[in-house]
Amino acid sequence: MSAAIPNAALDARGVMWLLGAMLFVVAPHLARMPEWVGAFFVLMVAWRGWVAWRALHFPLRWVVFLLTVAAAAGTFLQYGRLFGRDAGTTLLILMAAMKLVEMRTSREVLLAIHLGFVLVMTNFLYSQTIPMGIYMLACVWIFVATLVGYQRGMGRPATVAERLVPAGKLLAQALPLMVVLFVLFPRVTGPLWALPQDARAGISGLSDTMTPGNISKLIQSEATAFRVEFEGDIPAYQWLYFRGPVLWAFDGRSWRMSEFSPAAALEYPKSERPVKYTVTLEPHGKHWLFALDVPGTLPPGVSARHDLQLRSVRPVDARLRYEMTSYLDYRFGEKLPAGFREFALRFNTWQNPRTIALGRQWAAENPDPRRVIGRALQYFNSQFTYTLEPPLLESDDPYDEFLFDKKRGFCEHYAGSFALLMRAAGIPSRIVTGYQGGEINPLNRELIVRQADAHAWVEVWLEGEGWVRIDPTSAVSPNRIDSGINAALGPIGVIPSLIAADRLGILSNLRFAWDALNSQWNQWVLGYNIDRQRQFLTRLGIDALDWMTLALWLGGVSFAVAGLVSLWLVARDLPRRDPPAVRAWKRYGDKLAQAGLARAPHEGPLDYLARVRAARPDLAQEAGEITERYVQARYGKGLTAPEAKELARRVRDFRPA
Amino acid sequence: MLANLRQSIADWIFRARFPEAPPVTLVQRRIFILPSKEGYVFALVLLVLLVASINYALSLGFILTFLLAAMGSVAMLHTWRNLAHLRIRPGRGESVFAGDTAHFAVVIESPVRERFAVGLRRRDEDPVFADIAEREATTVAIPVKAGRRGRLRCGRVEIYTRYPVGLFHAWSYFDFGQAVIVYPRPDPSAGPPPSRSVSESGEGVPIPGEDDFHHLREYRQGDPLRHVAWKALARGDQLLTKEFHATASGELWLDWNDARAADPEARLSFLAHWVIECERIGLRYGLRIPGASVPPDRGESHRACCLEALALHGEGTTR
Repeated sequence: MSAAIPNAALDARGVMWLLGAMLFVVAPHLARMPEWVGAFFVLMVAWRGWVAWRALHFPLRWVVFLLTVAAAAGTFLQYGRLFGRDAGTTLLILMAAMKLVEMRTSREVLLAIHLGFVLVMTNFLYSQTIPMGIYMLACVWIFVATLVGYQRGMGRPATVAERLVPAGKLLAQALPLMVVLFVLFPRVTGPLWALPQDARAGISGLSDTMTPGNISKLIQSEATAFRVEFEGDIPAYQWLYFRGPVLWAFDGRSWRMSEFSPAAALEYPKSERPVKYTVTLEPHGKHWLFALDVPGTLPPGVSARHDLQLRSVRPVDARLRYEMTSYLDYRFGEKLPAGFREFALRFNTWQNPRTIALGRQWAAENPDPRRVIGRALQYFNSQFTYTLEPPLLESDDPYDEFLFDKKRGFCEHYAGSFALLMRAAGIPSRIVTGYQGGEINPLNRELIVRQADAHAWVEVWLEGEGWVRIDPTSAVSPNRIDSGINAALGPIGVIPSLIAADRLGILSNLRFAWDALNSQWNQWVLGYNIDRQRQFLTRLGIDALDWMTLALWLGGVSFAVAGLVSLWLVARDLPRRDPPAVRAWKRYGDKLAQAGLARAPHEGPLDYLARVRAARPDLAQEAGEITERYVQARYGKGLTAPEAKELARRVRDFRPA
Repeated sequence: MLANLRQSIADWIFRARFPEAPPVTLVQRRIFILPSKEGYVFALVLLVLLVASINYALSLGFILTFLLAAMGSVAMLHTWRNLAHLRIRPGRGESVFAGDTAHFAVVIESPVRERFAVGLRRRDEDPVFADIAEREATTVAIPVKAGRRGRLRCGRVEIYTRYPVGLFHAWSYFDFGQAVIVYPRPDPSAGPPPSRSVSESGEGVPIPGEDDFHHLREYRQGDPLRHVAWKALARGDQLLTKEFHATASGELWLDWNDARAADPEARLSFLAHWVIECERIGLRYGLRIPGASVPPDRGESHRACCLEALALHGEGTTR
């Protein structure tokens, strides 16, 4: 037998498995990272594969060292630092590549596999969708299979099945405990330390300024902004105004959120029809929350500003779920303090002079502000076109350019110019941005609001009525408000166009099903935070959850589940119970042994019988009956159930002593 | 450090119990299990993953962390199960010459399931791995370098496994008191066996040989067939062997005093070489060394007897 030490030898096939797993896990990163990172990684993996396959010499230490230094330097040059999400991930990928090149012993292979697990985690910093989850599960499986291969193939390479099957079994048997840990492990509210600034990069959403053109960019995004579950009926489409940032400050081009925003109590003469709903907000990295106009209650940890903008204490860095009550029919801000009034009328007189002149002219012609508003809406309605691709407004007087020359625009153009016209006419006004409309998923009656539903409208202050919502876009394109963005502009983007072409509705149903699944995923998997956990456990009857109780539950239940899994595994190892005939025969032997006639180990049943008959003629009859049945059971055609019972009875009644 | 700790725990627990009677079944309380070095690194990685998941509020990160943690704990069970209930008994050990590698055979049988990558090793030596088939005796030979002649004891053997993922090290010990005889390394520089040997008491003592017929004696197992007195058998007598007496030329006493070497060990090596040579040529030879004397004979078992006498010279009684 071989005395070799296969432990220290690196077999090429094991290395190939590791390299394959590494390529799999880094693949999603390659599209996100600079090209040179991907090129470097693939090159290093190919090099290592070549070395392993052809059993070449390992690369020289100093070459590896220089390459490692170069990789770190490259990362620093690219990002200006070595930490943070992008830089950190890049560095990890490059170091993993160098580890692969450098590893020589199976111990280092195990280290590389551990590094692989960390790389799996980095993928979740970028995406936590269902497909990504499944893909990464496959990666983990391959890593564990590689691990198994190193233990299994002591002395010879393990086969594919010898790797994958035990690894799959391990992961499958780990699932129950994983679920318990996931459900019961105490969650904390926020990050343990400040997140790197780029941790949430690339999240689209509204911003705190509105410049002509920036919402129309957003509108091409199919990404979900938030989902809404209504208690009861979903309000009609034209009521679905989700209020977001409110912009007061105007610099001639952009509208901005005001710095000065005292909090306010939500007190106004309300109507009798509250709408109750729950919003699941995708993370957008900003403080504001969205609610139907106008919010009636505040979720915990959220305050309302005087212009009814909801603000969370922490930026929304994780998916947030909150319950809201809103009043669709409302009157708000009937008294406008002088300071606010002045602020809502402020504009630069030297910019957009023609727009200002038009507003002032309308004000001179119509003393009643309502008439001015009507005049303005009529003006938009008569001459303007609603378009997703508005021409660029390049001059210093962008609203002049829009109102008098281009006359093609998107909601921010209409809202912006309308508000300016109002301010010129002496009517206090402000811009409200948010989302309007959405799509109802018929499968779960959930309203999906996408970035494409981003919208901007205007609120004007009228004596005796307070702040009144005016949506100038509706004057140009009533469809936009009544049935949504796709109705107003035709299908936007690839998926909606496909769906529009799909007469039977298969695609749209699939899409709804996928949306419904994603919603569940978001709520129960991704959105499983401290609140959800509390809510879920309360529903299970586990109440009064402080940290200690939860830890106790966690310990107890995981112990129980792990115990069950262990029992199941260990029980399979226990020796099987003998068949009834054999048990009866053993008992028969025991009884005879007590009578001094023990069966010799080598003695067959018939020889034994002969001996028993010779020694104890009085037992011959009964012993013969028993032996005959036993021989039939073991070596003959077997016994039926009643026959087996008969044998057991005879043995029970057998009294040799 | 960990290995030392394991050793001392085991030393303490097993102090009085070895050697033990075969077969040994690895029951639950005989099996120890602790994380391997890689297991501790894995735990550290899990901690890093957990902190990252908490900090970035990554639900899938939690799932990954918990899946791996659960996998680790299930793996512990599998590692333990890979060793549990194994039945071990000693196999035959072959004698070797000093400087060669001796093999201690161990027969392992698994009552349930096939077992993978079960390692056997003596203290601080390299392990041998084997897969143990279900309900089938698998023989594993533990190689040991036979340094010097004498009785080589196997000592305590560690049987261990890290299958399936190497995060845990499950082990147990057994010691059957197995030993093999290590013959002195034959030294060819001894030259051919001396042609004549004189017994201590002088001439005239008949030496059993095959030249001249002396008398008939009772047949003993191992007597050459051509020495059987077939005629006597045909007459209906019992099975008899013809005893011949040889002259010194056909029969040889390999004597301690003839092996002129510097030290006793070198003498033993000379004598070992002669024993092998005599057997090869087909001579009848006897061995006379201080403390032991083997009457002249020949054959495989005689040779082994002589070599064993050489191997155990000075070690007190033979078995």
